[in-house]
Amino acid sequence: MADITLTATPVPKAGLLAAIAAVFRHRALSSAKVRLALLILVPILALTILAPVLPIQKPLETNLRAMMQFPSIEHVFGTDKMGRDIFSRTLAGVQVSLLVGFSVAAIALVLGMLLGTLAGFYGGLIDRAIMTVVDIFLAFPSLLLAIGLVSVMGTGIVPVILAISLADVPRFIRLQRSQVLSLRSRAFIDAARTVDASQYWLMTRHIVPNTIAAMLVAASIAAANAILVEASLSFLGLGIMPPQPSLGNIVRDGQTYLEQAWWISTLPGVVILLIAVGLHFLSDGVRELLDPRSR
Amino acid sequence: MNYQAPVKTTLLEVRDLRTEFHTASGTVTAVDGVSFAIERGERVAVVGESGSGKSAMAMSILRLLTHPGKVAGGEVLLDGRDITKLSEGQLNAIRGRLVGTVFQDPMSSLDPVMRISKQMIEPIMRNLRLNREQARAEAIKWLGKVGIPEPERRIEAYPFEMSGGMRQRVMIAMALSCRPQLVIADEPTTALDVTIQAQIVEVLKNLTAEAGAAMMFITHDLGLVARFAHKVAVMYAGRIVEFGRVEDIFANPSHPYTQSLLGTIPSTSMLKSDRLPQIPGLPPDMRYPIVGCAFKERCAAAHDRCLREAPRLTDRGIDHRAACWSQHGLEHGATLKVERPERTNKPFEPDGSVVVELNALWKQFETSRKMVVKAVNGVNLRVHKGETLGIVGESGCGKSTVARLLLGLEKPTSGDIFISGRAQMVFQDPASSFNPKMTIGDIVAEPLVVRAQGNKAERLEAVRRLISQVGLDPAFAERYPHQLSGGQRQRVAVARALALNPSVVVADEPTSALDVSVRAQIINLLVDLKQELGISFVFISHDLLTVRYISDRIAVMYLGEVVEYGAAEEVFADPRHPYTKALIDAVPVPDPAIESRRTTTPLQGELPSPLNLPKGCAFASRCPMATDRCRAEKPSLPNHDLSRQVACHYAH
Repeated sequence: MADITLTATPVPKAGLLAAIAAVFRHRALSSAKVRLALLILVPILALTILAPVLPIQKPLETNLRAMMQFPSIEHVFGTDKMGRDIFSRTLAGVQVSLLVGFSVAAIALVLGMLLGTLAGFYGGLIDRAIMTVVDIFLAFPSLLLAIGLVSVMGTGIVPVILAISLADVPRFIRLQRSQVLSLRSRAFIDAARTVDASQYWLMTRHIVPNTIAAMLVAASIAAANAILVEASLSFLGLGIMPPQPSLGNIVRDGQTYLEQAWWISTLPGVVILLIAVGLHFLSDGVRELLDPRSR
Repeated sequence: MNYQAPVKTTLLEVRDLRTEFHTASGTVTAVDGVSFAIERGERVAVVGESGSGKSAMAMSILRLLTHPGKVAGGEVLLDGRDITKLSEGQLNAIRGRLVGTVFQDPMSSLDPVMRISKQMIEPIMRNLRLNREQARAEAIKWLGKVGIPEPERRIEAYPFEMSGGMRQRVMIAMALSCRPQLVIADEPTTALDVTIQAQIVEVLKNLTAEAGAAMMFITHDLGLVARFAHKVAVMYAGRIVEFGRVEDIFANPSHPYTQSLLGTIPSTSMLKSDRLPQIPGLPPDMRYPIVGCAFKERCAAAHDRCLREAPRLTDRGIDHRAACWSQHGLEHGATLKVERPERTNKPFEPDGSVVVELNALWKQFETSRKMVVKAVNGVNLRVHKGETLGIVGESGCGKSTVARLLLGLEKPTSGDIFISGRAQMVFQDPASSFNPKMTIGDIVAEPLVVRAQGNKAERLEAVRRLISQVGLDPAFAERYPHQLSGGQRQRVAVARALALNPSVVVADEPTSALDVSVRAQIINLLVDLKQELGISFVFISHDLLTVRYISDRIAVMYLGEVVEYGAAEEVFADPRHPYTKALIDAVPVPDPAIESRRTTTPLQGELPSPLNLPKGCAFASRCPMATDRCRAEKPSLPNHDLSRQVACHYAH
């Protein structure tokens, strides 16, 4: 009977880490989308990490003799009205962006999976309680909700992260719940129940591993979105407060000088765009790789 | 079959049709040079395993293939006109007008947001150039012809207001309403109960005979072929390997594949002690070019020439062609491979002890609108050690609910269930009964892990033993469900069910998702396990021939009740309840000689709603011999200890 040959590609094992590891083991780089995403993201990430040791002006350092300078070799992105190096500030801003993006994705993923699994698996009162709150949250546009929450919690990195994740968690709960509901009626759950598997076993071994792929995709989209929301909040003066740089507040600073010094706003804006595009390609590529049927 | 075509004129001629699917992993030649002709008024059956290219061939004729499929060559002559050369617009005029199509799945083939009237009337207006009133009358007439009750009212229904059988009949009415000259039907009755199937087959037979339309239908049910077809095309690996009149194909099959297929069906004359012949191996991978005969690996008669050269279709008689180098296929004597596993211990002898006992079991479900569905109504059943109980009945009769109750997946509303030992399950669809993220090894080991039996090494050992017990290589433990074929997955399901040494295994339609050739393997496996391990089986199926073969006793269920119970042979040979009689009558027998002699009056109507059960006999509404007494007074099974029980006032 052993006349079916194993296909060459391993399939993701159960478990979050194993799933991620599997993506990188099997031909992650053969996907054009993933390659493009990495081509965009890796240099940005590398420059951000290397920023402290690069021969550039510190982000907060002013130089009143070199204000509003056009991009040059010394100041790659030019300088602003206080003679600060935009390139250096942009890299510091990217650091903030990435921190916000990944924290939001992680918080939304964990809370969404936890509450969504409980709501979907147990149903009844638990489900109704969780979903009522979710529905109330979902009635507001997420940016508006984040603005509201930030104005209550104050400005700074931590409140921004909390505000954006709180606005994102309901959507994660919804997604997780719908996945759990459809998995719950699958025959392999019944099969496990006939051997008296506990509810904990059903959730951790059968339900959660089958929801991870979709949740990771949602998380990577949420990360890209969070970066944009943080930029928007900071642009509106509600997020990260100057002088600490963030992509949003650099763009806001430069906005007044768009006619005299277009580079102050435009170049950090291009970086925001690149990060968002890169993360979207990455999430799309990861989704395709995680789906065993798409290969 | 005393069939005479009125005038022998060719309606459809297919010449050297080739269809390719361009996928990422290579080009699959799904149809590889198929040629045949259909005459007016003729019904041609196309049979073959899944993947043999039968659906792709049918879809290619009308160019209904979806991406990445593509017709790569050949001609399709409809009434002398080559329709492969037509533009999409010209072809659209032909689909519906000249050629009607019926697909397998009635649930998804109708538009769910359109009333039946809208879906039917507009094509009729367009194709027959009638005005709205005339078209409506025409539609109602056809709905009546296919057996839809109250067609004037039903035409305004939405598809979701109808049962599957009704929807399939609507599909057929739609396909026929534009008076096509050719009807192409892809497994038109596979999703339906045998009783409904019998009704629809009668309708189609009459309609093709009346209107003189030709029909090509695809099926894997050889019984249906015997009942319905004039000619048969047997497909294997994208080619027609045998083509001929139905009597010749069944009486005188010439290709080893046809011979094997016919051999794998449990026949009515077969002894219980005989094992079902099975076709070893799997069909070839169509991504790679096939050298020689495609069937050589699975053929007992294969010789040198078969390895080198592919045989072409050659004449074997009047209108009978086969593609095999040897004149008669498998020679007599050296026929089919009947594997017998070597027995280590002596077969189990039943000792009469009771393993499962259901006493006055009731189960009711409450719907969201506070209505009560009475799924199981007072069922008493016993299963003895080492015995197989077959439960048969139409869908909705409560047989699956009984299985779920037995396994503890549902709690009974009242009554008790006694099981000595443990009940385990083999599910219908092996594709969805496994967690796709777990390896086969983890799946088989799960019951042991959950019950904390043994340590890791012992469990690994147990998994290897269980997997080899069901006839698979222990190396399968490393694989994932989607890397296995349907038959292999069902073997794994059996291995898993055996992990906890159950006393009874409940198998709910375990073979209905499998091809005929694989089905025999699984049935043989279950029979072997029963004999070796003394496990009892509860075998639930609508495939009556299989149930008859595998079961010692049979319970016939109708609307949540057991209406007849007894030894399998007796129930089949001498059915006493009118429902049992109707069920057995509805099953087509894979023998055209018997089928042409049978005069079947199919059971009319459908199962009444389990929301409000009739006061008297549940079957009275469809029973040909029902009287006022039946409608007023409910017959019950006499004595639960009798070996033969019938719940009917008039059973002898």
